[in-house]
Amino acid sequence: MTTNRVAVVENNLDEYLRSAAATAHRIASGDEVAAGSGLTARAALELFEDQVASRALDVAARELKRTGRSFYTISSAGHEDNAVLGALLRLDDPCFLHYRSGALMMARSRKLAGSTPVFDTLLSLCASKEDPISGGRHKVWGSRPLWVPPQTSTIASHIPKAVGLAFAIARSKRMGFDTGLARDSIVLCSFGDASSNHCTALSGFNAARYVHKRGNPLPILFLCEDNGIGISVETPRGWVEETYSQQSHLRYFRAEGSLDQIWQACSAAVEFCRATRTPTFLHLKTTRLWGHAGSDVETTYRTLAEIEAIEALDPLLANARRLVESGAAAPEGLSAIVRDTRARVMAAAEEAARRPRLVTRAEVESSLAAWDEPAIRARAARIVSPEKRAAMWGEALPEKAKSPTKRTLASHVNSTLHDLMAQYPETLVFGEDTAKKGGVYGVTQGLQKRFGLPRVFDTLLDETTILGLAQGTAHVGFLPLPEIQYLAYLHNALDQLRGEACSLSYFSGGQFTNPMVVRIQGLAYQKGFGGHFHNDNSIGALRDIPSLMLAVPSRGDDAARMLRGAVAAAKECGRVICFLEPIALYHEKDLHEDGDNGWLTEYPPPSMDPADVILPGAVGVYGADNKDVLIASYANGLRLSLRVARMLERERGVRARVIDLRWLAPLPFAAFIEHAEACGRVVVVDECRATGAGVADSLIARLAERGSRVVARSVRAADCYVPLGSATAAVLVGEEQIADAVKAILP
Amino acid sequence: MKRIAILCPGRGSYSERTLRSLPDGHPWVARADALRRERNLPALSELDRAAKFDSRLRLAPENVSPLIYLVSMIDAAARCLEDECVAVAGNSLGWYTALAVAGALDFDDGFRLVQEMSILQKEQQEARGGGQILFPLVDEHWRRDPERTRDIESALQGARGAAFRSIDLGGYAVLAGSEEGLAHLLATLPKVKLGSTLYPFRLMQHGAYHTSLVSSVADRARESLGGLRFDRPRTTLIDGRGVRFTPWSTDVNALRDYTLGAQITTPYDFALSVRVALREHAPDHLVCPGPGNSLGGPVGQIVVGEGWRGVHSKEDFQRVQESDAPILISMRR
Repeated sequence: MTTNRVAVVENNLDEYLRSAAATAHRIASGDEVAAGSGLTARAALELFEDQVASRALDVAARELKRTGRSFYTISSAGHEDNAVLGALLRLDDPCFLHYRSGALMMARSRKLAGSTPVFDTLLSLCASKEDPISGGRHKVWGSRPLWVPPQTSTIASHIPKAVGLAFAIARSKRMGFDTGLARDSIVLCSFGDASSNHCTALSGFNAARYVHKRGNPLPILFLCEDNGIGISVETPRGWVEETYSQQSHLRYFRAEGSLDQIWQACSAAVEFCRATRTPTFLHLKTTRLWGHAGSDVETTYRTLAEIEAIEALDPLLANARRLVESGAAAPEGLSAIVRDTRARVMAAAEEAARRPRLVTRAEVESSLAAWDEPAIRARAARIVSPEKRAAMWGEALPEKAKSPTKRTLASHVNSTLHDLMAQYPETLVFGEDTAKKGGVYGVTQGLQKRFGLPRVFDTLLDETTILGLAQGTAHVGFLPLPEIQYLAYLHNALDQLRGEACSLSYFSGGQFTNPMVVRIQGLAYQKGFGGHFHNDNSIGALRDIPSLMLAVPSRGDDAARMLRGAVAAAKECGRVICFLEPIALYHEKDLHEDGDNGWLTEYPPPSMDPADVILPGAVGVYGADNKDVLIASYANGLRLSLRVARMLERERGVRARVIDLRWLAPLPFAAFIEHAEACGRVVVVDECRATGAGVADSLIARLAERGSRVVARSVRAADCYVPLGSATAAVLVGEEQIADAVKAILP
Repeated sequence: MKRIAILCPGRGSYSERTLRSLPDGHPWVARADALRRERNLPALSELDRAAKFDSRLRLAPENVSPLIYLVSMIDAAARCLEDECVAVAGNSLGWYTALAVAGALDFDDGFRLVQEMSILQKEQQEARGGGQILFPLVDEHWRRDPERTRDIESALQGARGAAFRSIDLGGYAVLAGSEEGLAHLLATLPKVKLGSTLYPFRLMQHGAYHTSLVSSVADRARESLGGLRFDRPRTTLIDGRGVRFTPWSTDVNALRDYTLGAQITTPYDFALSVRVALREHAPDHLVCPGPGNSLGGPVGQIVVGEGWRGVHSKEDFQRVQESDAPILISMRR
């Protein structure tokens, strides 16, 4: 059925052009198609060429798929009027595009001499490793020179970062920071009518309006391409207009009708957004031809009459008619465009189908994330001069703290953030209650006062927005250090890390990156502040994300060195890193007895020694000479393990070696195995959920697969949410469990 | 009927070997001779028919450029009767021919353009000196040698504004400069032997084309060639920046501005124009009209650079050329 409908739509256009008569009155190429529209005959012909090329690519995609040579048939057919935006916007207006953007990309490519958009698209359809954006990993619209970061876009998950980039343009102007974009650049973000209902989309619109309400410029142009249906479910008539035309801090424009009317409306929207720096919602009426994708059988939810009525709305047909009737073109000329374009696209498709594809796992993985440890260490060692640092800190140099000389984990993270913000002027710190209050645990106290509002600011209560801001600002050279108030709050925004931030390098062959260090306050064991939402111990979702790095410090001095390593890795290699801080240890002072101050540490000042920072693979070792048993843990579990180790030594003479894993992604397998084999017995103390893809599974599996003779056990938290009050102890790992596990494997 | 892209050669394509390239009795030869008479220049038919090759005379820009134009035009027109031409590009001077092959200029205006530009460039060269040198970017297998690109970058950096990139031929870089700049390049670039030829060497009777050093030529051309009637091409034209001018949406003012402006004063990327022709038009064959076959090697090297149809070396290219589906058809030897 689908192929037939393709032929029907093609034939409709051909028939019209065959039978239409040229108007007696032809207009010159520089004349407007309609007075006052601003669209010249020549510009209209360029658009028509781009629209026909996009359509021919859609047809080629289906032909290649039919013969088993391409892998993607979601088309732009019916959406070709988005080419107008491609023509109107500048190359320094970044575009976050949804998947029906073929014509827009064709039009935008005209602005860059030497572009080959037809062949590039075909390479992408054929999953060729020569596809210049994703290298054969996905069919995405993207291009580094055209400033189009690739998007997955199907669930509107690109909208928050587009808002973030618009925010960055405005913020950079205030800070005098060079983003490489013009000061009057705007950001385009397109999506369909169906996905405008997605919570992530709503989050993006809301954030844009909220930021603008607070007095910040926010030059974003939301382009809603409304084809009236999402796969098989029709959007209620008038829904988009009703929803978005009456919102404050969001100017609504409607574009529909003839090509010149659409041009006029889109021009007005672009000009408004550029001039006023106000969130702008451009509602472009489109239609959808040939179903959602090649595999979508449209007749299961639409009648033939409905399908034919939609086909009659084909924008190519409408635009051809408009060009002929306005005198901008003769039917023969348009026929020639169609004939020439179809022929060259099909010929190019045959060539593209022969281009090489990715074959090996290593090839596929190669663009996931960069890693250059010497460069990272060298970057971390480029610290600010002692004089400058002394001037910043004054009397309060943290390593010179008087009473007590040692400080807590929270204090050291705070000091480290100060030093990092001085070392990296491009860093931004933001989150909920992060700036004015200094964080609910005081970890970011003093930063706003020291570094100013543009760099340290409070956000609205929405983790999706926080991570969107991080991505958007990172796209143009900022180094965001956002804070997620509680680990449990991250989960509703997790796709911003999984589907977006961490996939950017992968889908762009490393051409785009969004480096960031996301500080997350989390894990359990808080005294007097219980319940799941503030004591979440589920990290499986983070460890499941390809390329995401996860650091979990347990003590202050480690935290300083790990955070410095994380920021340097983000800066140098574009990495996305989560820095999970155990809340219960933030203000912990003691290790074994009340008042022993055993959990306080000296602040390690920034060092010019490249070896000073702690990167993945380097474990912390306690009792290095001990060999009776190894206890491997992290965060709260580490402190518990150290207490158990002393108790075992005192009570049973068992000398346990304890290691702090420090980085949970990637895990320090080599160091773990080395210590485990040196001791012959190992207990992994994993404070996270027992079956939540925690670290115990991975570590013990790795031992087992080696055929190691090390006797291994683990203790883990219950597969349960953390309850309120004293019942907490029933689900979390306790010292008794650790001790029992050790005793169980001792001879 | 095959889909072909025509690539028009530039200077250097007419040599002793190509004497007697012009057919007898062709109306364009007669027309060209008539246009030459208007400017008191010797007939091309006579120059072409001479028994002895006098390089000083025949390689003089005002003679060789129109000769190349005329041969290319005759060849291209003949080929277009056999095949469907889907795109036209040219190398340097070949851009002027391409304009006429594609119908953006008629034969006479194309000829006037070539003739006038050759004289303006010659006058410029005689007054101010300067010229072009050739240096390879590839090894003997036509694979890119990054070291040579670095050599060029380093040499240009040291030239302190007296030498520039002029033409990217894909496998070779043409560099241009003032006399001082050329001396610097010749002294700085390493000596490279490819086949039996030692590089770099200076291209005889060539000016500092496609650089800011000849910006006065562009100024004069805009004055003296203001009357040329540019039209939308009949076939898509691809210029030395990789810009496509289609028969339908071409802005003829942009075409004129480029031809009498940026084409003269900024680097000409022939390799990019061929890349655009291959990728955006995917012709069955690339066709090089005469005279001679001077573009054969560069086009082969561009094809290798693109890995087009699995061609990744000189040997691959030779193999495919010997097959029944050659990528490149050279109309002359």
